Amino acid sequence: MNKLSPAKHRSRVLDSMPLLIGCIVVIIALYGVLISGIASNNVMRYMIQIFLYIILGEMWNLLSGYAGMTSLGQQLYIGLSGYTVAVATSTFKLPLGTGILLAVIVCTVISLIMSLILFRMEGMYFSIATWVVAEMFSTFFFSWKFVGQGSGMTIRVTPYPKMFDICILSLTFCVGALVIVYMLLRTKIGLGLTAMRDDITAAPSVGVDQIGHKLVVYVIAAVFIAFAGSVFVINKGIIYPDNGFTIGWTVSMIFIVVVGGKGTFSGPIVGAIIYVFLQEYLAHFPGWSNIILGIITILVILFLPDGIVGTLQKKLHFELFSAKRISFPKER
Amino acid sequence: MYIAQVITNGILLGSVYALLGLGMTLIFGIVKQTNLAHGVFIVLGAYLSSVLAPVLGIDPIFTLFLTVPLMFLFGFVLQYFLIGKAMQKGNEPALLVTFGLSIILQDAMLLIFTADAQHITAAYSVANFDIFGLKVSVLNVVLFCISLVTIGALWLFLNRTYIGRAIRATSDNPEAASLAGVSVKKIYAIAMGIAMASAAVAGLCVGMKWTFYASSGGSYLLIAFVVVVIGGLGSVPGTLIAGLLFGLAQVIGGANYGLLISYVILLIVLVVKPQGILGKKV
Amino acid sequence: MSEPVLRVEDLRVNYDDFIAVETASLSIEEGKIVSVVGLNGAGKSTLMNTIAGLNKPKSGKVFFMGKDITGLPAEKIAACGLSLVPQGGSIFNSMSVQDNLLMGAYPRNARPHAKDALHHVYDLFPVLEEKKKSPAGTLSGGQRQMVAIGRALMTKPACLIFDEISLGLAPAVIKDIYRRIIEINATHHTSILLIEQDTQRALKASESFYVMFKGRVVMSGKSSEADPEELKRAYFGM
Repeated sequence: MNKLSPAKHRSRVLDSMPLLIGCIVVIIALYGVLISGIASNNVMRYMIQIFLYIILGEMWNLLSGYAGMTSLGQQLYIGLSGYTVAVATSTFKLPLGTGILLAVIVCTVISLIMSLILFRMEGMYFSIATWVVAEMFSTFFFSWKFVGQGSGMTIRVTPYPKMFDICILSLTFCVGALVIVYMLLRTKIGLGLTAMRDDITAAPSVGVDQIGHKLVVYVIAAVFIAFAGSVFVINKGIIYPDNGFTIGWTVSMIFIVVVGGKGTFSGPIVGAIIYVFLQEYLAHFPGWSNIILGIITILVILFLPDGIVGTLQKKLHFELFSAKRISFPKER
Repeated sequence: MYIAQVITNGILLGSVYALLGLGMTLIFGIVKQTNLAHGVFIVLGAYLSSVLAPVLGIDPIFTLFLTVPLMFLFGFVLQYFLIGKAMQKGNEPALLVTFGLSIILQDAMLLIFTADAQHITAAYSVANFDIFGLKVSVLNVVLFCISLVTIGALWLFLNRTYIGRAIRATSDNPEAASLAGVSVKKIYAIAMGIAMASAAVAGLCVGMKWTFYASSGGSYLLIAFVVVVIGGLGSVPGTLIAGLLFGLAQVIGGANYGLLISYVILLIVLVVKPQGILGKKV
Repeated sequence: MSEPVLRVEDLRVNYDDFIAVETASLSIEEGKIVSVVGLNGAGKSTLMNTIAGLNKPKSGKVFFMGKDITGLPAEKIAACGLSLVPQGGSIFNSMSVQDNLLMGAYPRNARPHAKDALHHVYDLFPVLEEKKKSPAGTLSGGQRQMVAIGRALMTKPACLIFDEISLGLAPAVIKDIYRRIIEINATHHTSILLIEQDTQRALKASESFYVMFKGRVVMSGKSSEADPEELKRAYFGM
């Protein structure tokens, strides 16, 4: 008898061609629904939110579930991208596409600079530092005349994109984000991240370049959050420090990833859908939304720590796409 | 003379800063957990005192007789039944739970007390007096005394009582502490209770010194964090010294850049000493 | 025959699927010294940690002074009068020697006698009184073990368990420590359970012994009558 045999069951990875084809079909169907005009404005409104929040969720999941970076400051890139689009279109009268491109470039550059500061810290220090940096930028933008200080700026573009255009844009960016995450998990970097996450002390000895991997993840996250942030601001039409840099973005990201399932590929998708509908419902109770979200998040952390998708995967012994399911390391 | 005035102001201000960091150094340094809700708890203490003082018709300082035990209990229960359970699942879940708590509490206070500015006034809030030619406000001196008494009491407690010793021992070696008869779960809960109690005192002081809002938690957390990281995790004397230095820096630097200075100092400290002064890995 | 101070019945301890202690039974009479020897990984430490409450056993029972303490948490067992000095560092390095010792008197029933107990410990280990204000982590290996032993004594325990107390110490120091252990047993009739890899020393110091191999107690008997050949076979599982 082998006394050391692991008790965990082997999981089936549902990664086959049929499933991939199935996903492609779904994506084509979504485009079809939009282009054909079947979808009403109301439906598109929901779709925009869902697609964008999927992006945010997948990125926070990459950072936290795979690269071990618990960032409380990703709102930095929402604010930065939003303001860049606003300045590009309103102040410099550039076309929208250029504005979005500039937003991504700005966020890439800032993320590279920030990594120099932030990567020197671990754990709690890192988390608090990300929050501090976001707050710094928020305070700065609040007093910067060029961007309208506290009142912020509006997006001025003619013709202003219709809901249909915004929806197509958000779907495209969403698909892009999912493809990037999927590919990332499958490459050497993805496996390296998994190794890092499972045993951060052993990983270097197996040839994993920790800082390099972390940097790739951090920049990718900044890039796609920039895409999402640009569309958010176009959708809303206005940006000011309080909505661009608010911690509320992090609250939503945490909710989506925790409820959906940390360290899983489809978790954030489920989480985003739940989040959007929940927010819609909670809008009837002004002032209560963060409280309810917070309570649900805490309850899930305590009683359903793997999230919905994570728990389902455990119970039914399968994995959807992911290279490996990651669980919170037990450090105590 | 000007220098003496600046130094005096800095020390008076610094004592309050040290008080803000007190609860955090206990939890951060001893329970080895970051309580992101610490700033919000301070705001809670401020609101409690601001409500109780006029209702009971007493000087705000006496509200401490109520707020301190109340918040001790709150902290104890929170740690024993909630945060402690999260800690069992790992560092990140615990961090996220305290983050969630800070959001929930902050918005709850926003609902209850609205976004209006608050302030706790006392009979002597605007009184001044001259000492050795220096202009000193009565309020600042009162707050200074409260801070020192609280800090001193905590230091005595940690070093001269069985429970205080048990808290330090558990931080050093939880397994050995269990073998010596300490219930680690209970001790962490007591430590959190004390941290909350100190937040109650800190809340009173910031409420009397400055105006506060439901959303002020973030700025208090920031100050507490700066003080604790510079002063050394888990070190009460270190927190006091760091607080005083920080207070001096702010007075010298001027009021306009206050918040920005805090951010910058914090980032510099985090970069230069990422492991914290005592070199303990968090 | 009077009830033994400590009685372990068919204890079984698992780590997930790994069986660390398959079945172990032992007992210690009041005032006696008993040794448990065996190879690394035989399960000695796991057994002791479980008896002391750091682990929960899968099955089996532990009786201390007639009371069933199976599954109780470590802090409650320590307060009953069963003190474990575990392997490898059971002191509080950042605290002073005196504070370390005072921690030993933490259980409520031990606090009134703390001052008394402290004097006894200083009588037994005078060097600790000299260094009572120094941080325990700055002491030498042997002195640190004295702190650990001293702390365990503060509750005036009925039974002490020493898990490889001589690990990493120089022979002269080990001799000294053993002398004191025998002194403690002689003066206070404290029952002592000694875990040791050095069989010779363990047998010399104890009245009876047990041998563990791969999680089971495979041999027991009176130390003075131990047959070297049989002992070797049991020790190595031959």
